[in-house]
Parts: sequence; structure tokens; C-alpha cells
Amino acid sequence: MFGTVTLTLLHGLWTTFQIFILTLVFALPLGLLLGIGSASKWKPLRYLIQVFVWIIRGTPLMLQLIIIFYGPGLWLHHNIWSGNEAGRITATVVAFVINYACYFSVIFRGGIEGVPVGQREAGLVLGMTKSQIFFKITLLQMIKRVVPPMSNEIITLVKDTSLARIIAAYELTFAGYSFMKSAGLTWPLFYTGVFYLVFVGILTLLFGYIEKKLDYFR
Amino acid sequence: MENNTQPMLEVKNIEKHFGSTSVLKDISFSLEKGKALAIIGSSGSGKTTLLRCLNFLETPTGGTIEVMGKTIFDADQMNRLSEAELRKNRLHFGMVFQSFNLFPQYTALENVMLAPKLAAKQNGGETVEEIRKRAEELLDQMGLSNRMDNYPHQLSGGQQQRVAIARALALQPDILCFDEPTSALDPELTGEVLKVIRSLADSHTTMIIVTHEMRFAHDVADQVIFMDEGIILEQGTPEEVFEHPKNERTKKFLEGYV
Repeated sequence: MFGTVTLTLLHGLWTTFQIFILTLVFALPLGLLLGIGSASKWKPLRYLIQVFVWIIRGTPLMLQLIIIFYGPGLWLHHNIWSGNEAGRITATVVAFVINYACYFSVIFRGGIEGVPVGQREAGLVLGMTKSQIFFKITLLQMIKRVVPPMSNEIITLVKDTSLARIIAAYELTFAGYSFMKSAGLTWPLFYTGVFYLVFVGILTLLFGYIEKKLDYFR
Repeated sequence: MENNTQPMLEVKNIEKHFGSTSVLKDISFSLEKGKALAIIGSSGSGKTTLLRCLNFLETPTGGTIEVMGKTIFDADQMNRLSEAELRKNRLHFGMVFQSFNLFPQYTALENVMLAPKLAAKQNGGETVEEIRKRAEELLDQMGLSNRMDNYPHQLSGGQQQRVAIARALALQPDILCFDEPTSALDPELTGEVLKVIRSLADSHTTMIIVTHEMRFAHDVADQVIFMDEGIILEQGTPEEVFEHPKNERTKKFLEGYV
């Protein structure tokens, strides 16, 4: 039985991992763009992003996931997410990317605004272009500032993947829960918890390493 | 003297408003090659804004700026300037900030090399080795030959400011500007920075120094401007401004420093 449970949980972990990685791959750059936009001097863009972030942060991720998964089928009478596992994972990733990009954007904006204005001015008087200033001066200082709050969000993301169960994506929590439903077993739930703990433990070590790597400057 | 008719820098009728507040009013002066100009005046008199206008960190609302006879800024034709031209024109000036503004993630040497390296990458020219050699020479000249591989947070304020001066010099600007270069320093560190600026003046670097160090301005500058409420109230040689001020306001300001 232990072997069966382990295999099932590993299968669920793979789905969880896919949702996690794909969300990061898309939400990090999108969050950075939204963050830059929300620090923009052009008011319409700033307000537009602020309202969008307010809506996304102000409503539950689970609700957003339900709307994104079922919405198209109900409005367009055509389910754009094919009903199989891949379709469910894709819908989950889309909902997660939108949601997490908004949270990331606020962190990035804080990071951008936290870099003293004198850094930009020093780059300007040295004849550097805007993109040189961003990539050679601002970016690394910003990354250093955002690593601690980012590690919080990313650890939350690991556990939020369990929300995908609501649209029947077969992720880790769903896998652990299935044994309770089918065989009345509760120990797989604790075993599932161990999977999450190891996942988050590895991430914690990774973030500690990054923080240490960036410790050479202040 | 060869060409006396053409000064290094000619500033004509510079104006600057922030909204309805007028910060600079009809500022005109000229500076010859190899001379040092000190700008004095109380806080809020517009000294720093003037320096920031010269470096295009602020855009003047009126007036012109000429360097060696070439107009590099004309408020009436501002929107014709592309960003690339603006960047090129800006390089006539070097800037040393009150708060140093070194890049924390780079060593002293990397701070000095960064901008020349980026420029060479875009326009060709110097090799990295040449840039490194010049950066090392500049830091050596600043008395920092044993500090090249230190990061800014490992340096004292005075050392940081000297790296900042080397960084500005690395681009070989025509005119080097200092914005209260010692105001953020402890008194005992002020001396080492002033010594470096003094040696630059001795080697005929064209400079504009905004400062509250009156003794220093008196000794080092060839020309002094006293600013008050956005206008130039008095200008002349250090002797004229410091010893025989004509304006009551200047007298009162200088009395505060005796």
C-alpha cells in the first residue's frame, strides 16, 4: 500500500510542480512589467494597472480559477480548455499567472522605488542609456531588495497549487485526499504534508543561498 | 594666451520654474578653460538646481548653454533634441554628487570603468585594457591604489567621494561639477576630499564647485558667484566677493561664516 500511495503522490507532485514552475516562468516577467508600469509617470497606465491589481488581489484565487476554467465554456459555448488533464493544468496556470503577477508587481514596484534616485542620476550623468541604467545598475539592487518578500510569495504559491483540485486537476493534495475517499485512509494526508514540507524546505535553502550570494554589497 | 574670446562655458539667461515657483532667474555667467568657479549661497538659493540644469538632470525653462562656442542647450529648441544627442551633450559635464551615488554592487575599480566600458562597447574606441589602465591611474591619483577592489560599503565617506571623482574624470568631461562634495562627510574626512579637488584645480581642470566651505572657495576658486533666491547677486574674483562684497545680502551671508 505504501508503494501505491507513494507512486500516486509522486504523480500528483508532478502536476503540482508543473503548475508551480509554469506560474513562475510567466508570472515573474509579467509581474516585472506590471511593476514597471505601475511605477510609470504616465497616469492612465498607472491607474489601469492599479485597478487591475485591486480586482485580482481583492477576490479569491479559487473564484478566479473557477471563472477562468468554466467561464469560456458558459459564455462562448465552447470549452477552450480541452477537458483532459493538460487542459485543466493550463487553465490553472493561466489563473495563477494572472493572480501571482499582480502580487509580484507590487513587490517589484517596491523594489524599483527602493533604489535611491541618485543611482539613476549617477547613470544619467555618466551618459548611460535608460536600458543600460536598468540592466547594469537598478536591476541587481532591485533583485536584492525583492528576494525576501518574493520568497514568501513563492512559498505561498507551492501551497496554493492545491486549489487546482477545485477544477479536478490531479495535483498533490487531490492525490493524498483520494485515499481517504476510496479507502478511508488518513495517513496518506500526513504523508502528503511531508511532500509539501520537503518542497518548501528545498526552496527555503535556495532562497537562503541567493540572499547569501547577494550579501556582498549593501 | 591663445583664444581668449571663446570661454569654455557660456551660460546665458537660464531660467527654471517648478510650476509657478521660479527657482532660477536670468542666470548668466561664463567660465574659461582651466579655471575653477565656486558657487556659494544659502540653502534654497538655487545653486544645486543650477548645477543640475547644466547636467540636464533638470531641464531649464529658458536660456542657452554653450560649451566651447557650441550651443548644447537652447530652451526654445529643446524638443528637437533626440535622447542620444542629449546624452552626448551631457558628457561635456561631469558630476560629483553630495551623496556620492556610487554603484553598491561594483568595486571601486568597476565603478570607474563601467561607463567608459559601455561607451566603448557602443562606439568602439578604447579596449577594456586601456580603460582599466586609465581607471587604475585615476584611482591612484585619488590616493586609492590599495582600495580598488573594495566595494563602496567597505570604504569611508571620504574614500567613496574620491572614487566618485575618479568615476566622473574617467569620461574626460570638459567641465567637472561638484555639488556640495563634502557636505555629507565628517569634518575629519572633508580635508582629504578638498585636497583632491585642490590638486585638480592646480592641474587646471575646469570646474564648478557648489560649496559651503568658504575658506576653500576663497583659496581654490578663480571666480566666485554668490546666489540668493535664484539670482546671481554678486560675481567676481574671490578677493572681490569675499573681501569687498558690494551687496548687503552678500556681506550678511559671509558674516555668518566668520
